Amino acid sequence: MSAIESVRDRYRTFDDQRYAPLVKGVGLFGLLAALPTIIEIDVAGMELAALLSLKVLILTVIYAYTAQAWNIMSGYTGQFSFGHAAFFGVGAYATQALVVDFAVNPWVGMLVGGVIAAGYGLVIGALSFRFNLQGHYFALATLAFAELLRFVVTNMSELRGANGYFKPFPRDYGAEYGLVAFQFQNDLPYYYLIVGFLLVVTLVSWVIKNSWVGLYFFAIREDERAAASVGVPSFRYKLIGVAVSAFFTALGGAYWSMYFNTIRPDTVFALFKNVELLLPAVVGGPGTLLGPIVGSFIVTPVSEIARTTFSDINGLDRIIYGAFLVAIVIYSPRGVVSWPSQARALWTRVRGDEEVSE
Amino acid sequence: MGHLVTSVAPLPLQGGGLGRFIDPFAQFLTDITNLEPVLLQLIAFGLLLGGVYALTALGLTMIFGVMDVINFAHGIFLVVGMYSVWLVSETAGISPFLGIPIAAAVLFALGVVVHILTVEPIIEAPQQNQLIATLGVLFIIQSAIEIVFTPDPQQVELSLGSVQVGDVFIPLGQFYALVIALGTMLAVRAFLNRTDLGRKIRGTADNRDGARYVGINVRRINYLTFGIGAALAGVAGGSIALFQRFDPFTGETYLINAFVIVILGGLGSFPGAFVGGLIVGMIQVFGGYYLPGTTAQVLIFLLFIGTLLVKPEGLFGGAEA
Repeated sequence: MSAIESVRDRYRTFDDQRYAPLVKGVGLFGLLAALPTIIEIDVAGMELAALLSLKVLILTVIYAYTAQAWNIMSGYTGQFSFGHAAFFGVGAYATQALVVDFAVNPWVGMLVGGVIAAGYGLVIGALSFRFNLQGHYFALATLAFAELLRFVVTNMSELRGANGYFKPFPRDYGAEYGLVAFQFQNDLPYYYLIVGFLLVVTLVSWVIKNSWVGLYFFAIREDERAAASVGVPSFRYKLIGVAVSAFFTALGGAYWSMYFNTIRPDTVFALFKNVELLLPAVVGGPGTLLGPIVGSFIVTPVSEIARTTFSDINGLDRIIYGAFLVAIVIYSPRGVVSWPSQARALWTRVRGDEEVSE
Repeated sequence: MGHLVTSVAPLPLQGGGLGRFIDPFAQFLTDITNLEPVLLQLIAFGLLLGGVYALTALGLTMIFGVMDVINFAHGIFLVVGMYSVWLVSETAGISPFLGIPIAAAVLFALGVVVHILTVEPIIEAPQQNQLIATLGVLFIIQSAIEIVFTPDPQQVELSLGSVQVGDVFIPLGQFYALVIALGTMLAVRAFLNRTDLGRKIRGTADNRDGARYVGINVRRINYLTFGIGAALAGVAGGSIALFQRFDPFTGETYLINAFVIVILGGLGSFPGAFVGGLIVGMIQVFGGYYLPGTTAQVLIFLLFIGTLLVKPEGLFGGAEA
């Protein structure tokens, strides 16, 4: 038995243990927590931080988070939402509007936004699923619901129309800097906060995936009619998926609005935002736990580094984005996380006869 | 035009309360009962815009109908058409009207290339894959245009002025665009109904597998359809360039409204695209006049969602295909 095989066997034994997901999760999130330190390590006179600033890391984890939230609905149940900007924007607007106009603590505003978004998700889902919209029609309907909000908010003077909100200084709503005020003086606490958000949504996602709810979700994704015929209440479970996903996406929007200070309808409800929210999951592997995180660490830094490196060529980052979209759906529709198993399958096929004789 | 601007001041954005929803409709009804001449002017504008909108939806509905692909790149195809006409008239000094067939040819080639590279490999994959792929094409072409021609708005130098018919002003740029739109629609209709290739395309739209069994080369039909759809976007974009300033991002609004029209009229239905275009054009013109800000677009989305839910096959679509 070669060394590679013994390592592989030992990994398999580890993978079968009940504590394996816990160990993997601790490892992954330990790595995420250590990243701000890692990028500052001086390797041969070069820091990774020169390329990958803390700001880029925060943005990356935000999109990992939103993609994880999108995944709960679209990755698991197969109902492809193209309108998650609706939920994202609701979270951002609820938080800012309550903070700025009513001096409500952002954490409260965030939960309010989450509940409103879940409600909006239920409306979208109830209408679409009741009328049995599928495929293209469902994608276009969700997009329309997002665009609808963009134009409604743009035309509402109560929500400051096209100008949007600007987060005031903390003294304006009577709180200090700190976790309670959702307000920090440098980026590092913001980073740990969004990693915490990601941890929560990943845990929720894991629990769903490993419960009968997840089983129902995947049954619906694979063959909805067959699932219904064995008694899966598909309408109700699709609604659960939409509501959970919308709730968490809205929290991401709330975080976005507190971190970036300003929000406008054209940024949080933008057509492009719908894509940014789902792309990491599609690149990484829809329906997997690790996919959205891995996908975001591939897509976001590349596009951000392109944006800053070629800042005199406006739009190059979008070319890279576009190339990603095309290449991924054509060459690897199951995402980056499927590459190891595909490579393994290829490897076994190459040495095919040896495997058979074992 | 002066009359149009001054007679009814559009409601200011800060007008609060329910009044801002009711007042415009009350105003609209009063104008109807008084037979205000402005209504005639608005109808004329609605027809002009609606015709062009119908043309923007034509290529989209064709690709949608034949291949069951949502082509997100359609919006940027329109923009390529605009820039082609502008480039032709700017650098070579050729008339913008002659630029339109050139734009169609450029877009046909681009459409075939895009199709072979991005859509054909995944034509049998789940539907959202083509959506994502064509969206990627949108980003690539859009940014390429932005890099080459800067994001600044461009304009085709063409001062056609306007004619007055009774109380109604008709801007000639938009009028010619409407004529081109109508002519193109009739030509496409004749092509689909009368020619052999057109019949094959319609047959493929009806039943892809059946088309394959009777010996139609479906692959070839696919890329020809995509090319023709893109060429139609070129004609539409070129006509829009006759009367409107444009930048690399102009396509987005047209794209979204073209989706609305396609769903409204029914997939693959040409009369549907025409009627849908007129409805959306009318809402935009009347809404732009009576409603504050861009509220008209809200109405268009509500109509879109309503149609999707109640009659997803569209006004002119038959039973579920």
